[in-house]
Amino acid sequence: MSGGTVRSLGKGSAPPGPVPEGLIRVYSMRFCPFAKRTLLVLTAKGIRHEVININLKNKPEWFFKKNPLGLVPVLETSLGQLICESAITCEYLDEAYPGKKLWPSDPYEKACQRMIFESFSKVPSLMVSFLRMQNKEDCSGLKEELHKEFSKLEEVLTNKKTTFFGGSSLSMIDYLIWPWFEWLEALELNEYLEHTPNLKLWMASMKKDPTVSSLPTDVKTLQGFFNLYMQNSPEACDYGL
Amino acid sequence: MTDDATRTLGKGSIPPGPVPEGVIRLYSMRFCPYAHRTRLVLRAKGIRHEVININLRNKPEWYFTKHPFGQIPVLENSKCQLIYESVIACEYLDDAYPGRKLYPYDPYERARQKMLLELFYKVPHLTKECLVALRCGRDCTDLKLALRQEFCNLEEILGYQNTVFFGGDCISMIDYLFWPWFERLDVYGIADCVNHTPTLRLWIAAMKQDPTVCSLLTDKNTFLGFLNLYFQNNPAAFDYGLSC
Repeated sequence: MSGGTVRSLGKGSAPPGPVPEGLIRVYSMRFCPFAKRTLLVLTAKGIRHEVININLKNKPEWFFKKNPLGLVPVLETSLGQLICESAITCEYLDEAYPGKKLWPSDPYEKACQRMIFESFSKVPSLMVSFLRMQNKEDCSGLKEELHKEFSKLEEVLTNKKTTFFGGSSLSMIDYLIWPWFEWLEALELNEYLEHTPNLKLWMASMKKDPTVSSLPTDVKTLQGFFNLYMQNSPEACDYGL
Repeated sequence: MTDDATRTLGKGSIPPGPVPEGVIRLYSMRFCPYAHRTRLVLRAKGIRHEVININLRNKPEWYFTKHPFGQIPVLENSKCQLIYESVIACEYLDDAYPGRKLYPYDPYERARQKMLLELFYKVPHLTKECLVALRCGRDCTDLKLALRQEFCNLEEILGYQNTVFFGGDCISMIDYLFWPWFERLDVYGIADCVNHTPTLRLWIAAMKQDPTVCSLLTDKNTFLGFLNLYFQNNPAAFDYGLSC
């Protein structure tokens, strides 16, 4: 159900049929951190879903009808409605489906989580830059920037005096930022957590969450994916299957 | 005269006191498009508010306790809670206050408005770059071309939807979030960028008929006066047009 073993669809593949009633479909890729956000929310809320993995190095022509930019994640409902952009998909799922709300109901608390999300916004591109630079030039400048961003997050936790970014229990903001922390070990950046003890504790608590632990990312497999992806290999997205 | 027609506070000014109950405070600047979004939402929802204008070239020291980088807009309520980033502030107001909802209730329609906002992200930067280029006597052909392309994308959306406004047949949040930059096209000298987008021009005309938009329209000469002083780096720019 998590799409962990489904081979990706590439150029020349037949477009999938309509989404059956009672299900929602997510177009994803096993190693995409943005799509991981959506999978975390689907799992946390117990939403029945199906996953279609897309070969991002060899995109099917039909996928551009789902998202003109050809990016994952994309949600498709049984009514044919399409929702793009990971943060928007997560918010949609929280609003459209019953059960545990991941966004807080208090407008100010929700605004706080969104402000934290804004302050996190530099991290994804920094991590990708770091990935691209590995083994090449000196990346001390990048490391400095990453350290700055982590310190900002550390400050939030220190001021709030809570385990999670939204309070004493896990909520939307934690899931939204989590996927990039899974990359830390694979990119050998764990040393940065030595200066951010609260962030380190947060990571440990996240790993114990049933939703997070049901969708683990194996370090070796991720590293294998990185290698192939950086070489633009069409095999990258299915690495480890 | 709008309710924000007050002189800016600058360096050395006394920090304002706490926000009275029943009122929300907006730290703003009369000509800032991002703050304009928040003023539109406050007005559209009829929310009792007070405005404190900040001199952005001469920021008060105390203002950095409201925003780490001294940016506007920032909302402050009577519980001393601070909310910044214009889009977050607008959503907060819609969630926290009763009455007319500006975002749709339907989760999919709401998601659609958020996706539309993503489509708009290049417009603020491009309009500003055009303004700066024109003011500095530089060529901005490429910039205007890029801006026209963005407007074509928006034109396509309106055409496909066959609605007057971006959210449907009534004005809603997304229209207010876009509006400030369209109001500035003329005074920035780039009104011709909508020459090839007739549906977008119809939207602009419809927006100008909205009571909220109307009530906050800035007089062109006042805006030009601000721009002239702003580009001379004159800190008096922000108070241009206010009687002493």
